[in-house]
Amino acid sequence: MDGTLPGTDGTRRDMTVQMLTTKAEQAILKTFEDNAARLPGGKSVAELRRAAIGAFASRGLPSRRVEEFKYTDLKANLREAFPLVTGGAADADTTHGALGSHFGPEFAANAVSVVDGRGTSSGGHTFLADSKAVSMDWVQAALADESLAASADLLLNTALFTDGAVIDVPAGADVADPVVIVASARDNGLAVLRHIIRVGKGAKVTLVEVERAPIAAGLRQSSAVTQISIADGAEVVHIKVVEAHKGSTHLGHWQVRLGANVSYKPFQLTLGEGLVRNGLNVDFTGQHSTLDFGGASVVHGSGHADSTLVVDHKVPHCTSRELYKTVLDGQARAVFQGKVIVQPGAQKTDGKQMAQALMLSPDAEFDSKPELEIYADDVICGHGSTAAEIDPDLVFYCTSRGIPTAIARGMLIESFIAEAIEKVEHDGLRDALIGIARDSLAA
Amino acid sequence: MLEIKNLHVKLEDEDKAILKGLTLTVPKGEVHAIMGPNGSGKSTLAYVLAGREGYEITDGDILWNGESIIEMEPDERAAKGVFLAFQYPMEIPGVAGLTFLRTAANAVRKRRDMAELSTPEFLKVVKEKAAKLNIDFEMLKRPVNVGFSGGEKKRSEILQMAMLEPSLCVLDETDSGLDIDALKVVSDGVNALRSPDRAMLVITHYQRLLNHIVPDKVHVLAHGRIQRTGGKELALELETSGYADYTGKAA
Repeated sequence: MDGTLPGTDGTRRDMTVQMLTTKAEQAILKTFEDNAARLPGGKSVAELRRAAIGAFASRGLPSRRVEEFKYTDLKANLREAFPLVTGGAADADTTHGALGSHFGPEFAANAVSVVDGRGTSSGGHTFLADSKAVSMDWVQAALADESLAASADLLLNTALFTDGAVIDVPAGADVADPVVIVASARDNGLAVLRHIIRVGKGAKVTLVEVERAPIAAGLRQSSAVTQISIADGAEVVHIKVVEAHKGSTHLGHWQVRLGANVSYKPFQLTLGEGLVRNGLNVDFTGQHSTLDFGGASVVHGSGHADSTLVVDHKVPHCTSRELYKTVLDGQARAVFQGKVIVQPGAQKTDGKQMAQALMLSPDAEFDSKPELEIYADDVICGHGSTAAEIDPDLVFYCTSRGIPTAIARGMLIESFIAEAIEKVEHDGLRDALIGIARDSLAA
Repeated sequence: MLEIKNLHVKLEDEDKAILKGLTLTVPKGEVHAIMGPNGSGKSTLAYVLAGREGYEITDGDILWNGESIIEMEPDERAAKGVFLAFQYPMEIPGVAGLTFLRTAANAVRKRRDMAELSTPEFLKVVKEKAAKLNIDFEMLKRPVNVGFSGGEKKRSEILQMAMLEPSLCVLDETDSGLDIDALKVVSDGVNALRSPDRAMLVITHYQRLLNHIVPDKVHVLAHGRIQRTGGKELALELETSGYADYTGKAA
């Protein structure tokens, strides 16, 4: 309903009119009421959920009028919301099946597996639905993080999460094998997960989150929020692979807090023809830390992939790097929003950002929005963005060497996206990611 | 044998003719040089031989071993043995030199009904040929031509040429950007490929390259046509007299 009505004098005057809730919003409110009593967590968590659903009800899904969702209008695009999934039977083959063939069996062996919104295999970690885990002080503190009240997609997650991994990496630990969290769910359901991770001082760990719908999958909806607190001197590699097909939606968000002398290397790979939002907020709270972000997406047909970053340099002497690359065909659309805030006093901040799109079709769209908010005067910050077709001169160069046009184009497209994936240093992971991207490019 | 017959070429989106009735024959086993002032159509000839888009052949034909190639795609021509060494070799970020070489070599081998090279075979051949061209093998693990100096790019072109074993080599201003040492390495690389089964067309503005790659014939290209043909001494004559005699002459 329109927020203004014509006055009797022919002019328009503002009236406070409650926006009609959409069908999807109504379904989300209903699924909350249907499930509230059964959702995990004690009294304090139940209160958080009530507060979150209340705030969600008054705000509704974000429309393009909300700046962070300017190019990803969830109110318009989310036509319906499926009922919350709260557990199901775990298939013996689910973990490996959900990872796909490019991840070797070593990745499945100790994976944290979540099926239909419930943890099924913990890989030696704990689950949030476990009453002991959820009542731990640090977990409680994470859940109460006020920054997660910032937008409606996060409120939805707080209100509805059914489970998630709780991973506590002790100080000084050097975790050799990647910790893999693999999520899968049935069609026509809404899966909502919250992962809470703490990395102790000087620890080293590689975290991998995978949510891939098989090609034959029907419509799926999911929300996954990961909170990580990384203590001084720790080194964390954090990888995510999301594959969503036509009509499916994934709303992801990482909320990350970095101590001092931390190295944090997130990488996100998004594939398919679904609607995917990857939010990433990184707060620098200790000096001499580094964020090295890589993002890649292969978006087909009517797909939509959004990567929205907020990097907050609260302290001096930190470095942030972002490289995002996307390949778009059909009417696919990619969004990259990279906000870098340099707070007063955060001198010697060094921030650089690059977002690049390869447009395989004239109907594809790339919305790239760098935002630098700099309140300190001794900093280096830069950004760049490009959107281009495959360079016909490069294709000619390859074909003049006898390489058939289709193979030449494929090689050039793969090399474009591989430049971002090359940021992943772990050989097995990088090979898996390149293999997954290659399959998607060939699809 | 390469036969270019009355070739007329213009840019697709412009009316101005660049080549206006160029006729030229290069038999197998011979090296011919094409010299000419800037803007005479030298690079256009090179690109049209290799099949680059953007040019329109309005008249005439190009025959390679008796077969017209003007309707063929660049990769098809490469399979038939045509190779162009670029004046400005392209950089391909993200594609390793070895991957590129192997993909290209095996693509042409496949179309020539030859067995594809296995990895050990391929590496052995590349190592051998790279060493002859003073190319550091480690350099080939890096993306194609990215960050290479002018000389490194030209050596990399000649390595590609050696790997693809073409029967018609077209070298477009291969001497540009080379210092005297690099010029010698590149020329030695080209001379090593001279053979009774191979025709070469060396396009250059300056005579100095032809001290190293000594041609059987020299053609002067100006105003889109061959204006004069002579032996290797014609290049020396041009070095002293310049192109003034040709630039003023109407086509």
